[in-house]
Amino acid sequence: MATNVLSEITGLVLRVEKQVGDAVKAGDVLALLESMKMELPLEAPVAGKVVEVRCQEGQSVNEGDVLVVLA
Amino acid sequence: MTWQPELDELRRREQLAQSMGGPEKVARHHAQGRLTVRERIEELLDPGSFHEVGALTGAAEYSDGRLTTFRPANFICGTGRIDGRKVVIGGDDFTVRGGAADASVIGKQAHAEQIANNLRIPIVRLVDGTGGGGSVKMLEQHGYTYVPANPGWDVVVDNLSVVPVAAACLGSVAGLGAARLAAAHFSVMVEGTAQLFVAGPPVVKFGMGEDLTKEELGGVEVHRNSGAVDLITRTEQGAFTAIRRFLSYLPQNVFELPPTQPAGDSPVRREESLLSAIPRNRRQPYRIRPILASIFDAGSVFELAQYGRATVTALARLDGHPVGVVAADPYIGGGGLTVEGADAMTRLVDLCQTFHLPIVTLTDQPGLVIGRSAERRGTIRYGVRAIAAVYQATVPSAEIIIRRVFGVGGAGMTNRHHFVQRYAWPSADWGSLPIEGGLEVAYRSELEASDHPAALIEEIRARLDAVRSPFRTAERFGVEEIIDPRETRPLLCEWVRDAYALLPSQLGRPAHGTRP
Repeated sequence: MATNVLSEITGLVLRVEKQVGDAVKAGDVLALLESMKMELPLEAPVAGKVVEVRCQEGQSVNEGDVLVVLA
Repeated sequence: MTWQPELDELRRREQLAQSMGGPEKVARHHAQGRLTVRERIEELLDPGSFHEVGALTGAAEYSDGRLTTFRPANFICGTGRIDGRKVVIGGDDFTVRGGAADASVIGKQAHAEQIANNLRIPIVRLVDGTGGGGSVKMLEQHGYTYVPANPGWDVVVDNLSVVPVAAACLGSVAGLGAARLAAAHFSVMVEGTAQLFVAGPPVVKFGMGEDLTKEELGGVEVHRNSGAVDLITRTEQGAFTAIRRFLSYLPQNVFELPPTQPAGDSPVRREESLLSAIPRNRRQPYRIRPILASIFDAGSVFELAQYGRATVTALARLDGHPVGVVAADPYIGGGGLTVEGADAMTRLVDLCQTFHLPIVTLTDQPGLVIGRSAERRGTIRYGVRAIAAVYQATVPSAEIIIRRVFGVGGAGMTNRHHFVQRYAWPSADWGSLPIEGGLEVAYRSELEASDHPAALIEEIRARLDAVRSPFRTAERFGVEEIIDPRETRPLLCEWVRDAYALLPSQLGRPAHGTRP
């Protein structure tokens, strides 16, 4: 069952921390986003493996965009 | 000759009322993981405290002058006690005609509201079903139509300005039931077994062409952030615990002081963790909830309005005294004020103003959220509305500036034209506009004219950083006190006693009626 990890904010992708194939635990930081001058982590809601990374450094993202897919 | 025969008849009829919709309907209700209305009342109230009003109400059939069948009205109400304090309780009986009005006596619902309004005691509504809405079939029964009026609504609305009103959504709730749920200071919904909508799937499919299940239309995933309910719980028992907890912070009515209790926690507790709670790196977020736990009485922080998200609103206690709390969660959009956050803040301030709870604001506010999506939602107006609520409130207020105070949003977190007991942490960082971002805009012409803009930016930044220390503000009495963060709890526990000394002269109805 795939889990879409959505951005909760509108902002900028500062850094992508994981790549396709990486195993993650719930709470692991998948990417670092910037909004309102803060660096905010995108955390994995569940444990799993990264199957898709739909964002890249420097990209503008909106609230609700799917940034990473876990399975 | 006594009246014993009539007493026997009375007891017989009371027994009939206990069976609600009958064993089969009750079994079906239980099979769905739901408690009956009588079980819910027992769960919520102190044991044995329920005193029913209107138990004899219902549809009766007679043969030869003798009662043959009796279908109880599908609304049960009365008074009882919660943690020893008297309340009115009313609940829909879904086992009798799905909680619809055509099987109930509307007068009971309005009367329950009247008891609360006149005895000045809280009211709890356990909503299940349409709780009063009728069906089109009734037209044929009656032979006429009528201009609708929401029953008892004058008292329902007035109660919001007099007594605490709490409501639980415990089934598929639509129409009038949904309205009775929303006309409350505090509402809670149960995951999985409860849905909330203006009208249910069949009407929506016919009227809007949307084909959705009950869960898809109005289940917890729809309402987690909709703002229609304050909290979502996993079980019915969880909903009742939340309601009991909510009521425990509030007085019985607006004419009484909030109830104080033994703190169970030292008022001079100085948490070491507060000294390092705020990261030195300005771009790094921190967890606000451990900070709240370090300041307020142990276990006393009760968060409201989950939908507020970046804006945390709660009831809590300081040295046993109930207070309202506004804070920010920097993990969510930097903690900036959004439409939902502003709504949650407005409601918390209004609740505290109505029931005379002093307010503590932990300020870390970068300002109203910016960007096109925020503009589309009218963020400025909702933000200004929250600030208006703050400025209209007269309850004693304290502010701890823990980090940022910027912009209209930061300025509006407390009434800065009125006495507020204010303390700043050394991590405080304020100004009308933040240097980051503000610098590039303000010095644009200098930067454009320069041959070495990157070096110039750093030079300007160093000049501005030199003057941004809170100590410089304090030199000019721009802030009254900068404190060791570990002193926050002792100082607030001292303040709360000063605040409570002011409350007796403020008691009474709110200056403007309270709205949900």
